[in-house]
Amino acid sequence: MLSLVSATAAVASVTVKGRVVDAGDQQPLVGATIIVPEKALEAAGSSRRNVNALTDIDGNFTIVVPDGITAVDCRYVGYAPMTVELKGNLDHLVIPMTAASTELSEVVVTGYQKIEKRKLTAAIQTVAVNDNMLGSAMSIDQALAGQVAGLSSVTSTGAPGASPKIRIRGTASLNGTQEPLWVLDGIPLEGTTLPTMEDLKDIDEIYSTSIAGINPADIETITVLKDAAATAIYGARAANGVIVITTKSGRSGAPKVNFSTRITYSPKTGIDRLNLLDSNEKVDLELALLGTSYTYRENKGQVARIIAAAGETNAYKAGGWGALSGSTQAQINQLRNINTDWNDILFRNTVSQEYNLSVSGGNDKATYYTSVGYTDERGNVVGVEANRLNVTAKASYRLSRRLRVGASLFANRRVNKSNLTDADGFTNPVYYSRRANPYQTPFNEDGSYNYDVDIQGREDSELMFNIFEERDGTSYELESKSVTAIFDGEFRFNDQFKVFTQLGLQLDDSDKEEIADGNTYAMRKDVERTTLATLGGESFLPEGGKKTASSSTQRQVTWKFQGEYSDKFADIHEVELMAGTEIRKTWYESVSATGYGYDRKTLQTKPVIFPDESWAELYPLYAETYTENAFASFYATGSYSLLGRYTIGGSVRMDGSDMFGVAKKYRFLPLYSVSGLWRLSDEPFMEDAEWLDNLALRVSYGIQGNIDKNTSSYVMGDYNNVTILPGLTEEIISVSTPPNSRLRWEKTKTFSTGIDFGVLNNAINLSVDFYNRNGSDLIAARMLPLETGYVQMLVNWASMRNTGVEVTIASRNIHTPDFMWTTNFNFAWNANKVLREEIPSNQTTPGREGYPVGALFALKSAGLDEDGYPLFYNKQGEVVTATELLKLNSAGASTLTAEEQRNLYSYIGSTDPLFSGGLMNTFTYKNWELSLNFIFNLKSYVRCSPSYSPANYDRGMNSNRDILNRWTPDNTNTTFPVLMNSSDRPAEYIQYAEYSLYSSLDTWVKRNDHVRLQNLRLAYTLPSEISRKANMERVTIGLEARNLLVFGADYTNYLDPETMGNEFAQPIPKSFSFNLNVTF
Amino acid sequence: MKNINRIYGIATVALAALSTTSCDNFLDIQPVGRVIITTADEYRKMLTEAYSIVPEDRGLATFRSDEFVLNSTVSQEDLNSYLDIWRWEDVSPESTTATFNWRSYYQVLYEANYLIESRDNITEGSAEEIDQLEGEAYMLRAYMHFLLVNLYGEPYTALADPYSSKAVPLKLDTDPYNVLSRNTVGEIYDQIISDMDMAERLLNVDDWGEYRYRFNTLSVDALRSRVYLYMGRWEESLAASRRVLEVKSTLSDVTTELPNHYQSVENIVALEQVMTAYYDRAGKVNSELYGLYDISGDLRRTQYFNRQTSSNITVKKGGSNEYSCSFRVGEIYLNAAEAALEASTGEDALQAARGYLLTLMQNRYTANYYAKREAAVNEMSRDELREEIYTERRRELAFEGHRWFDLRRTTRPQLTKTYQGVTYTLEQNDSRYTVRIPSAAIEANPNLAN
Repeated sequence: MLSLVSATAAVASVTVKGRVVDAGDQQPLVGATIIVPEKALEAAGSSRRNVNALTDIDGNFTIVVPDGITAVDCRYVGYAPMTVELKGNLDHLVIPMTAASTELSEVVVTGYQKIEKRKLTAAIQTVAVNDNMLGSAMSIDQALAGQVAGLSSVTSTGAPGASPKIRIRGTASLNGTQEPLWVLDGIPLEGTTLPTMEDLKDIDEIYSTSIAGINPADIETITVLKDAAATAIYGARAANGVIVITTKSGRSGAPKVNFSTRITYSPKTGIDRLNLLDSNEKVDLELALLGTSYTYRENKGQVARIIAAAGETNAYKAGGWGALSGSTQAQINQLRNINTDWNDILFRNTVSQEYNLSVSGGNDKATYYTSVGYTDERGNVVGVEANRLNVTAKASYRLSRRLRVGASLFANRRVNKSNLTDADGFTNPVYYSRRANPYQTPFNEDGSYNYDVDIQGREDSELMFNIFEERDGTSYELESKSVTAIFDGEFRFNDQFKVFTQLGLQLDDSDKEEIADGNTYAMRKDVERTTLATLGGESFLPEGGKKTASSSTQRQVTWKFQGEYSDKFADIHEVELMAGTEIRKTWYESVSATGYGYDRKTLQTKPVIFPDESWAELYPLYAETYTENAFASFYATGSYSLLGRYTIGGSVRMDGSDMFGVAKKYRFLPLYSVSGLWRLSDEPFMEDAEWLDNLALRVSYGIQGNIDKNTSSYVMGDYNNVTILPGLTEEIISVSTPPNSRLRWEKTKTFSTGIDFGVLNNAINLSVDFYNRNGSDLIAARMLPLETGYVQMLVNWASMRNTGVEVTIASRNIHTPDFMWTTNFNFAWNANKVLREEIPSNQTTPGREGYPVGALFALKSAGLDEDGYPLFYNKQGEVVTATELLKLNSAGASTLTAEEQRNLYSYIGSTDPLFSGGLMNTFTYKNWELSLNFIFNLKSYVRCSPSYSPANYDRGMNSNRDILNRWTPDNTNTTFPVLMNSSDRPAEYIQYAEYSLYSSLDTWVKRNDHVRLQNLRLAYTLPSEISRKANMERVTIGLEARNLLVFGADYTNYLDPETMGNEFAQPIPKSFSFNLNVTF
Repeated sequence: MKNINRIYGIATVALAALSTTSCDNFLDIQPVGRVIITTADEYRKMLTEAYSIVPEDRGLATFRSDEFVLNSTVSQEDLNSYLDIWRWEDVSPESTTATFNWRSYYQVLYEANYLIESRDNITEGSAEEIDQLEGEAYMLRAYMHFLLVNLYGEPYTALADPYSSKAVPLKLDTDPYNVLSRNTVGEIYDQIISDMDMAERLLNVDDWGEYRYRFNTLSVDALRSRVYLYMGRWEESLAASRRVLEVKSTLSDVTTELPNHYQSVENIVALEQVMTAYYDRAGKVNSELYGLYDISGDLRRTQYFNRQTSSNITVKKGGSNEYSCSFRVGEIYLNAAEAALEASTGEDALQAARGYLLTLMQNRYTANYYAKREAAVNEMSRDELREEIYTERRRELAFEGHRWFDLRRTTRPQLTKTYQGVTYTLEQNDSRYTVRIPSAAIEANPNLAN
């Protein structure tokens, strides 16, 4: 379409015709603006103020300019604006524009749309993905820490490939997932929810999400959508923010080959920080305890066994060390000489490798991008390893000048290997390395397994356990195959109107194989459980091992279809409208089969003869699940810009899903947002401020909602089978959750405003955002009195406010031809407050009204009494005992009402950091580049688990050295309580043994602020004259150290501030990598 | 060009229209395996679930009584589970110790209450069928409260005022927002009696055939017989027992079938397994108990037990769901004998009690030995006869989940047990005759501590 301006003025005019194309692939650029500068018009004496034209679908334009105009400006989104002199053939003027990198001309990919940054009303931040940003992270989610203001990424374990906990703008909801929605090239991914990490089991949880299957090397940019204006179009699933992954595409031109590799060395981390007892200390402790009245697990520990075997227990109790015979003393002393370093023998130094190769290119009809990637990661725990093979193929075809189609295929195969750790917590090597006695040896002198009889609890179990036998005899292998295919097509009717459709298919297949040999603790435990008196004391399981093979398939199909309209009227009104519909269907199915009597050599299993059907139900040989969900949505978004300075936008979405047991009218949930932008820097009154490149103000408001799909106002049940009497298997319906007709929609209203500021040729770019999110009728699980028949139920429990400020500063501090220093700093302040809370009358811990949702409450400790029992300050400031504080009855339960118990606690702090962010400095000198990336989380608290339990400290296992400083009649000047005897103060004993009184003390709530040097990277790019000689375009070599340093509040007894409170977490590993990146 | 545009345009509109109109169908997914409970058949399946989760705590309570010993023949893993229950170590039990149930009872109660509340909304069922469902729900409610009050409440017969001693909360609705407090023993028994009366009016199935775990018309009086016995309301217990025996009085021939077998002729309700496979394998029969069975005269000695060595005697009447039994005729005879004896002081009462006791004995002893016992019983004084009834009850109902409750409701004697040379004592009237409410339940509802 042409925007013709008739020549009414006295001045003669010239008609210029031409074509605007991409300088690279020579593709026509549709909708580029050709404009005559106002000043030039004035200079030429024209009375007109506005002479411009837009290119049509073929990139062609015609513009009539007044005589005397020698040049026109050409602008196109995403390209550097240029001035073209009007000379040569003015009927066939070709304007080749080059893609630009300046801030405002960029486009932002939201997954539904590409929005020009100059019209962007929402809080969106884009991060370019490169070697520097990725470092040695194996998956993209691990690399996001400290990159985006308002995105907090907390790593809670150092297990290989463990996914961090990502939160965007604080915690919005407590129900269900708090993870952001991940979108791959427009298609929301399924299977991104993190499994609940049971810390003791975390060696199994590697590469568990579908994000982990994406090769970071294929990613071009990550876009984080933060406010309602940006996320509303994604509907209810986007309540926690959206992370859009845009993968690399081919560009026109000669084929480009890129090869990169990374070799990472990760040394095992010492656990000296945990302050575990050595053999000498442990032997002394066991000797000391055996002489006291502390009888809990009195027969545990090698010392007690040696003395008992010699029959000298009573003699020792009466007469002490001197009463022991010489040989007993010698045997005990022998233990002091053994110091098994369990950490050393169960962990290892590892080398991981990564290789990526990609080929991309194309011409004006088609572009392509193909890549292959392979990574092999080894965990510090021996036997834990993972690898991933990625194949990516993307192609885009321009079938005609109207029709463009594209196809992408992302395929990967992942294999994770480890040992079975689900038999008991202590079969996990991380746990075992912390709890095994230092005088325990893994093998006997003859090389046979030395079974550990202390680790399993009270009695000398008949199920012998040895960590090495377990490691050799069990295996766990998870193979995941995933294919994501995305097809899209775009048809352009004319300059204003186009339709776009996209079909996404995701298929995730995983096969799990769990094997336990006959001679393992895991198998012995199964045999023990199935040993029956009616079978003459034999197990009904056949001799041998077991194998469970399970496979699960997750599939999704998403199809969206949308029309887009954009036009410009009277040169000053720009309108963009988009409306579409999206349907999505997901399927999940799983099958699992178990065989007993399994032998790895013969691959044979033996039949199981169950004594009756009820046993067959307990030991299922086959299980199957199937679920299916459907979603349908309609969405629309629009924006209107006036004079390029004022933009208002809005979006609306209706989400429908197959909610079962819910009236049809509740199926669709409307969500909307409105937003506005005022670009002050384009105002005439700001024109004189030459130093100011950009100044814009953004405002948005939106409403989002959510409902729990599994709660119904009807009693719903799940079908199952049961055998109550022999030979009578019946179908039953079990009611898994109580109905709740009072459950309402959860609503979140978000107000967000921001200012963008760029000065001195964009040497300093500053963005400041403020937001206020008000959630009301929030849904959360509430603990029910067990007399309801259920443990918990979802209720609308509270309203909550998140207020925050985000600051992002990108600055070019020094810029000389040889040297450049840039800084990227982001900083977020998030204050969370529970505005109103309905406290159930059975709740004994304080409500959070007026406090952050992560509030930690504790009882004030007041030292120890004359018997070494903890004392407390009550609310009147008096020092009282536990019995007085809680008014304990004889069974150790508090007779205070729930409300009185709630009032005993004091607020300490919040688990969510008040401040978080990152600081990245990059120094470039000629071909050298040095970057340092710090991340920080400040003003947060954590509740640690006590270093020992005063009521049931198990002397059979190793522990922290705090136990040495416990209260005893000889050591009264301490804060660590006495080891309690159940007969001394039975009521208090029960409180300490069965309730969480001791861990509720303020002693165990600690600050865990920290600053971590996440990345230190030095890279060198070969001078181009050298690389060209080798026919290479660019060669970069990098050296990187990750997690080199961490500064934190006192984290004594823990390995990292991040894993504080959990002494069984794997340390966050340091790693050093070498990286080579070559482009041909 | 225009034509092409038009074609594309029409196609677009058509697609959009198609996607909107078929939307509701698209979203109508019947989830596999999920259902909103509405029909009588579905309520029956829900009730079957309730039956299937009735706890086997009467079996676990056997460890607290004097029926089992734990000794060196017991596996360490079983000791981990049961030793602290067996030796009444309630203050500092090992974390591996098996626990008496709490929530499961209330889960059964939830489903029973839900059925009672929604009785009028049940579709696709005859009035009789729905009556029967509701009657069973009342029976389940009565029986769950009865088990709860006998585990966690003081014995009714030991209380001067049963309305002064708090036990457990009565759960009579399905409101999840209702936070309950404990009711008194007296209130709970009153509710049990009223629920049984309701059930009596509704139940209409006399014989469930193969579904014999379900409550039938006879089960109301069988439960009454036991409940009134536990309350010491002898006439009412005796009357209930008589009504049961009028309908069903045949006793098993123990040489061919165990009386607590689910298909035995005397089984009235075959619901609880009592001696589950785990309980069955863990304990060894107390030799004192074993000694109560006459070596040649008592037919039950070899049928009930398997003696390998003197310290390794195992129970044959348990270990699988074949031995599911909550009420049977043998118990009713013993209830009747005891109630008849206590109901009045006259010689008639004594005679009636002897009659019930001897009917059972005749069936359990060899003819020769029975003749001896009959003569002895007929000579017995009132106190001797009471002792004899107690002992016969101990013999007949061994390992069927009665002993602990019987100890509680009668004399609460001193018990001593020895394990690895250490002696443990439960004093007469010890507070540990009542099990402590689980701390998890108190944490979820602090009212339970008061």
